[in-house]
Amino acid sequence: MSQFLEFTVLGLILGSVYAISATGLVVTYTTSGVFNFAHGAVGMIAAYGYWELVTHHVPAALAMVLIILVGAPLLGVIIEWLLMRRLLGDTGERPIMVTLGLLSILIGMALVVFGENRGDTLNPLVGGTFRILGVGVTSQDLVIAGAAAAIAVALRVLFHSFRLGVALRAVVDDPELLATSGASPVAMSRTGWVLGSVLAALAGVLLAQQQQTSLDTYTLALLVVSGFAAAVFGRLRSVPLTYAGGLVLGLAVIYFGSYAQPHLGSWGPDLSAALPMIFLFGVLIALPSVRLRAVGKLTTLRPPRVASGWESLVAAAAFFLVAVACSLTLSGTVVGGNSSFGVVLDHTMAYGIVGLSLVLLIGYAGQVSLCQFAFMGIGAFLMGKVAGGGSLLGLLLAVVVCAAIGALIALPTVRLRGLYFALATFAFADAAYTGIFPDTRVLGQGLNVGQIVLPGLSFGGNRAVFLLLAGAFVLSALLVLAIRRSLFGRRLVALQDSPAAYATVGLNAAFTKVAVFAIAAGLAGLAGALYGTAAGIVGTSDFDIFTGVIFVLFVVVWGVRTVSGAFLAALSFAVLTHVWTNGVGLFAGAGIVLIGWAPNGIIGMTWLSRLVPHRPGAGRRASTHDAASLVGVVDTREGDIRAAG
Amino acid sequence: MPPADALAPERTGGGGSDPVLEVRGVTVHFGGVSALTDVTLSVDRGSVTGLIGPNGAGKTTLFNVISGLQVPNSGVVVFEGRDLARVRPHRRARLGIARTFQRLELFGSLTAEDNVRVGLESSIRWWQWHRLRASFPWARDEAGDGARATGSRVVGLADRLLAGVGLAGHESEQSSAMPTGSARMVELARALAMQPKLVLLDEPGSGLDEHESEALGSLLQRLAADGMAVLLVEHDMELVMRVCDRVHVLDFGHIIASGTPDEVRADPRVQKAYLGASAGSAPAAGGDV
Ligand SMILES: Nc1ncnc2c1ncn2[C@@H]1O[C@H](COP(=O)(O)OP(=O)(O)OP(=O)(O)O)[C@@H](O)[C@H]1O
Ligand SMILES: [Mg+2]
Repeated sequence: MSQFLEFTVLGLILGSVYAISATGLVVTYTTSGVFNFAHGAVGMIAAYGYWELVTHHVPAALAMVLIILVGAPLLGVIIEWLLMRRLLGDTGERPIMVTLGLLSILIGMALVVFGENRGDTLNPLVGGTFRILGVGVTSQDLVIAGAAAAIAVALRVLFHSFRLGVALRAVVDDPELLATSGASPVAMSRTGWVLGSVLAALAGVLLAQQQQTSLDTYTLALLVVSGFAAAVFGRLRSVPLTYAGGLVLGLAVIYFGSYAQPHLGSWGPDLSAALPMIFLFGVLIALPSVRLRAVGKLTTLRPPRVASGWESLVAAAAFFLVAVACSLTLSGTVVGGNSSFGVVLDHTMAYGIVGLSLVLLIGYAGQVSLCQFAFMGIGAFLMGKVAGGGSLLGLLLAVVVCAAIGALIALPTVRLRGLYFALATFAFADAAYTGIFPDTRVLGQGLNVGQIVLPGLSFGGNRAVFLLLAGAFVLSALLVLAIRRSLFGRRLVALQDSPAAYATVGLNAAFTKVAVFAIAAGLAGLAGALYGTAAGIVGTSDFDIFTGVIFVLFVVVWGVRTVSGAFLAALSFAVLTHVWTNGVGLFAGAGIVLIGWAPNGIIGMTWLSRLVPHRPGAGRRASTHDAASLVGVVDTREGDIRAAG
Repeated sequence: MPPADALAPERTGGGGSDPVLEVRGVTVHFGGVSALTDVTLSVDRGSVTGLIGPNGAGKTTLFNVISGLQVPNSGVVVFEGRDLARVRPHRRARLGIARTFQRLELFGSLTAEDNVRVGLESSIRWWQWHRLRASFPWARDEAGDGARATGSRVVGLADRLLAGVGLAGHESEQSSAMPTGSARMVELARALAMQPKLVLLDEPGSGLDEHESEALGSLLQRLAADGMAVLLVEHDMELVMRVCDRVHVLDFGHIIASGTPDEVRADPRVQKAYLGASAGSAPAAGGDV
């Protein structure tokens, strides 16, 4: 019984940690309509700032005031002005991308300035330990539990009792309504970002003080990830529910780790790390479906021209010839010990296929997936394990199994709003990366994948392997373009443009979304299998969730609606990871700032697209509406439509 | 084919008619606001039925209830004798209910032609893989050659439908870049492409000039003559009075009058709803309320 009490106290303290970050998320979301993936990163920067001040002999209390009440609000104002203002009211994928970009900028900056971690620990604000119900807790723990509760109460009061708070809440409910009531949505959104940053900074500093280990960039930035679950539990709106969700989650993690995990023995994977994400997935499944609504908002985006069948065939052939030329620089026979150049080439092709899956998903269907790298990992795993590794069967299974898993993930979640769907994919990616891949029976530190052997063909040399990858990329690109030109492709674009109209022409949005997600997952699985076979040996770190997120940003920055965007993203990503690892996130983040101005990405920018010739006849138009031709309709109905239907 | 106008009088009168759609006792609240209160009406096969009322009367809300985008607080919608309560929007569309939107819901990044194609192809199921062949280069050019030419066949139909709503020559324009009047006609063509039994039109006439709205009127009458049921929300009273066989009047969520255009025009409650206390003869022909 005393043990149970101890676990309960520990669970409540952990839950308070979750609750602090989760309530901050809720504040930004309710006031600006944007889910801030970078919430934890803001806290991380604040913690480093605090650390710098304290090591320069600024008194701890003063340092906290400076960071939380001066630095954080300033950062909030800058974020709102630089990144968010152009996206106000945008409910599509761009706000998600921009906060993910902010996450990678902040992490990139911290990596460059502070490194991956700081050896020394911070002193807690207040020292000493207590005993509560016979359980020893530090004063810092009490401060955190108290702060979590105080923040929850204060926000609840603010949102429901003051005019400012009520107006703040209105932003997300109906920006147009707010505008007609005289309040400025921009001012409200700025207030929201300031408030959110202050809470993030407070959480960051308190947690950094509590962590008795070193300050770690990734740990701090991604700590908030567990808070996602609590925030979604509160439907991203209710502060009290979010607080409750945090506590429940904290208890669940501690109870599970203490009671259930030991019984799983050595057989079960270490699920406690993945538990918050499993919780998040569960909460998402329980959410009510989004209601179809006619919003009457027309996209004004000019979509990139779709290459015709012959054009794409010719381009594919030319591309493959260039690939053959590149392959001549590679050694023909030696396996392993590939040159840097060879590694970059291989990675470009494998990431390129992942990029293509994102073109299909984000570019055509408007669905954000943050778990393509997890599918890659599964693909590589199957490639390494099935039939001793390197078999054709493994390659096929990588595609089929990933597509099936994709469908299983999508089935319960496609009915949700886009943001929730993105969160579900994030939850899956995190569960795979932290809970499943590290197991030595899955990927662990390194899994031997083995060279692929196709009937009648030997892929022993680097050159052959690269050509295999290049061939797979070219075929995938042709497939994606063929899909875009097909009836299915038209439906994907139609669904993205107007879900309400999509339903009223008799099409099932849920089915379409599940199908496209499964196809994209299969492509990512293929990419992973090929990546594995090219690398020879892969580990968990190859499929880092954070790297996966940055890659999504690369594709969006270059142009997620085109195949060439996917290729350029893969190329620059492969080169940059090889040359300057810390710069990858910075590049992605800096590029994302652009998408407020260039929604179609770099290669969709107008000055560039003017260089591309237009299809002849695309601009043909008649001078006026020919009212007399209305006469033709009845005949049309009686004749051909029936025949076609 | 005889002129549509000549046929119209024979279908009026309601009485022993053949309702394709029946709305019974539908009530919708938004928070404290009642958008619809106990609305009952029916729409006959092969007729144009008007639904008019001042701004905010609940016309669009009723359309949303019929097409399944809005769940009513109470009441039923019956289509061809079948209660639609548990039927999802895309299923209702497949049963034969098509619609257009007051605030445009085009597939904005597609061309006008592709908008209509999506409607035309909505009956193609995913297992009909052979249809996908149309997207490959070698299956493209052979018009009129059975299954291989599905693509060109559908394109041809889409173009004819667009021509039918007066948009010949505009097939490859991006639909979100079109002027409102034309965009409405693209929505109409897309709805007609599904061969609906009932089509709900939410202010199709706004954004059209006089000539075009006249053409729209005769198009609607032709559709009705062909057996389709049309439910028309429109502020252009001349159009409503000219083409409708029956008219229902909504005011603050209540049906305040139903009948032939002439009966409705003469109804004092309707005049009051449109003009408030002041005397007058609204909704007068030609008035744009
Ligand atoms: N989603 C919604 N939430 C809250 N109120 C709504 C909503 N949709 C409509 N309303 C309200 O319901 C009432 C009826 O609106 P509706 O759009 O159906 O009217 P309408 O007859 O189509 O008007 P109009 O002629 O201007 O198109 C209005 O008071 C409107 O403000
Ligand atoms: Mg309306």
